[in-house]
Amino acid sequence: MTTTSSSPETHNGAFDPPTAGTAPSSDRRPGRFARILSRMPRSAWPLLVFALLFLIGGLIRPNLLSLDSLIGTATFAMILAIASFGQTAAVIQGGIDLSVPNTIAFSALSYLTLIGPLGPVGGFIGALAAGTVIGIINGTIVAKLGLTPIVTTIAMNGLLFGVVLLTFKNSELTVIPQFLTDITATKIDVFGLSVAAVLPLGLVLMVILQLVLSYTGWGRSLFLVGSAPETAKLAGQPVDRIRIAGYALSSFLAAFSGIIIVGFYAQASATMGAEYLLGSVAAVLVGGASIAGGRGSMIGTLGGALVLGQVATLVAVANLGSNIQQLIYGVIVLIVIALYARRGRD
Amino acid sequence: MTTATAPSDRSGISRLWNTTGITRLRREGAVAPITAFLAFFLVYVIINPGLLTRFQLQTAGNLVVPLALAALGQLIIVLVGGIDISIGAIMSLANVVFATAMVSLPVPLAILAGIAAGLACGLFNGYLVAYLRLPAIAVTLASAFIIGSISREVMDRPGGGITPEFYLATSGELLPYLPISIFWLAIIATGMWFVLQRTALGRHIYGVGSNIDSVAAAGLNAKRAQLAAFALSSVVVSLGAIMLAGSTITGDPRSGDSYLLSSIAAVALAGASFTGGRGSIIGTILAACTLGLVGSLLFFAGINSYWQYVISALIVISVVGIPVIWKRLYLALRKAHA
Repeated sequence: MTTTSSSPETHNGAFDPPTAGTAPSSDRRPGRFARILSRMPRSAWPLLVFALLFLIGGLIRPNLLSLDSLIGTATFAMILAIASFGQTAAVIQGGIDLSVPNTIAFSALSYLTLIGPLGPVGGFIGALAAGTVIGIINGTIVAKLGLTPIVTTIAMNGLLFGVVLLTFKNSELTVIPQFLTDITATKIDVFGLSVAAVLPLGLVLMVILQLVLSYTGWGRSLFLVGSAPETAKLAGQPVDRIRIAGYALSSFLAAFSGIIIVGFYAQASATMGAEYLLGSVAAVLVGGASIAGGRGSMIGTLGGALVLGQVATLVAVANLGSNIQQLIYGVIVLIVIALYARRGRD
Repeated sequence: MTTATAPSDRSGISRLWNTTGITRLRREGAVAPITAFLAFFLVYVIINPGLLTRFQLQTAGNLVVPLALAALGQLIIVLVGGIDISIGAIMSLANVVFATAMVSLPVPLAILAGIAAGLACGLFNGYLVAYLRLPAIAVTLASAFIIGSISREVMDRPGGGITPEFYLATSGELLPYLPISIFWLAIIATGMWFVLQRTALGRHIYGVGSNIDSVAAAGLNAKRAQLAAFALSSVVVSLGAIMLAGSTITGDPRSGDSYLLSSIAAVALAGASFTGGRGSIIGTILAACTLGLVGSLLFFAGINSYWQYVISALIVISVVGIPVIWKRLYLALRKAHA
């Protein structure tokens, strides 16, 4: 949210030839339109693209331009967004969390196991705690041992897969408690609209996380550590602890999404998280985060998930199959990183 | 590290180290994975002496060789300071293109088709990374989606025209006790070693990984070296895909998926530096052998094979982590001593 306030701006809208501007490497002054665009926060882009795709959907098939269609896409996208919020935190502080898929499976299955002894709410807390421990281990290995985040989280992902296969007998775990259904799949009334409970839940979660990222010292320190770890260290920031906390938040949110996913789809399996390995990173990148760290937002990630969700809807309507959907996802990610890289370099 | 304690009688020993190449291996971080492999191999043979029979050696070779080639492909990208998320997808694509081509084309042309498909992916990734200066991890994430999707368009379910003769040529025995897959791996790895260590291009690839700005400042074509690394990597991975197709006698659009994570794990276990410039071919091959055989070791030990995921992770973390802890302890002790 700290976008483009660095350049001194002249609001008189003069279109002078480049005589005054003697800044290096700018042989052409951006026009008014370009300057308005450059002042737009990054997180607005994916939302804009989503709106555009939504309208395009309406052109192709007018009944897509309805509130029901919007809610359907948004619900699907919200699940992906919730699974990607943790990834956003990991990417902002300069890492990546490839243990998201099996953290999802692990927390979902531990939740279903823990509701026996602990009850629905106790199980919820227990599974989230287990998820947080995973993140603390990831963060400790990355920060204290200096292993690459990719390698550490891949190893953790593999380890969790083994733990999931060894610990849980999946076939026995299909009873979803009413409490969980109530906060995810049950249709509730919001401003006269009937939406699945996961939609407002996800929105509230996003707002809280965005506020924490933007307005708390700890949230800001994640950006600092992600963009300039050495500077952070010299400034006396506890870099290792911030990193560990970043991974803990990532795994905590992945665990949360695991429980939400099992509640919404009412099924759990050892491979239920697999699609979120690349999917979560894609949503985060389309949402405007930098893979090198130091930049990203929860709103952007939701926007990214909405773009991917709307593409899925369009592909389904055009009857192209999930295979082409993957292809388009790839092309979108490619376009996004090419555009952002160009903007970042100017 | 350079202190005043440099006794003069060290030169003889260090020359011996050098001639045996151990210094090189140490510098490339390969000592830990080689030790780990030897320990693992010893445990394996004690638990299951049957490994040393002809049939089991052949099976183990077929299991390990595609992973080793995928890991070598990953190693080349890691050497230039990148990482390739699309390696599984490239493997799948080369696999299905080869298997499809085998239906109608003669074997050499089918092999060329498979390699060409993989090479196209490598050039695509390499162009975007080297010439458009996009981050490798993001580019290959995107191309993983794209290439995976294309390979499922080429072939939507396992099949293809791989013949039993081709199985014998890739996965049979060259000599008694010598699986032919190991022979092919040795040839490919030697070729790769030659390119990386004995050609100017190879030295540029290492240089780009160590310090791309210095390479560019020295007037060398750093971009071309990066592109070449992606191209070379994709060819090695495609060869792995063809070996995989041979040993399973099918083409499968999802056959490469599992190699994404395991190739990165193997390169990590091999002690390569993920910031680039450092990594050993032999270390990578042995790391792949270790990780590839954990599952079958557990099978022979009568342990639930699901443990392989846990044990592989612990091997990677401990082999990579222990030297770090060791170094910290050593430095701390020296500080306390001084």
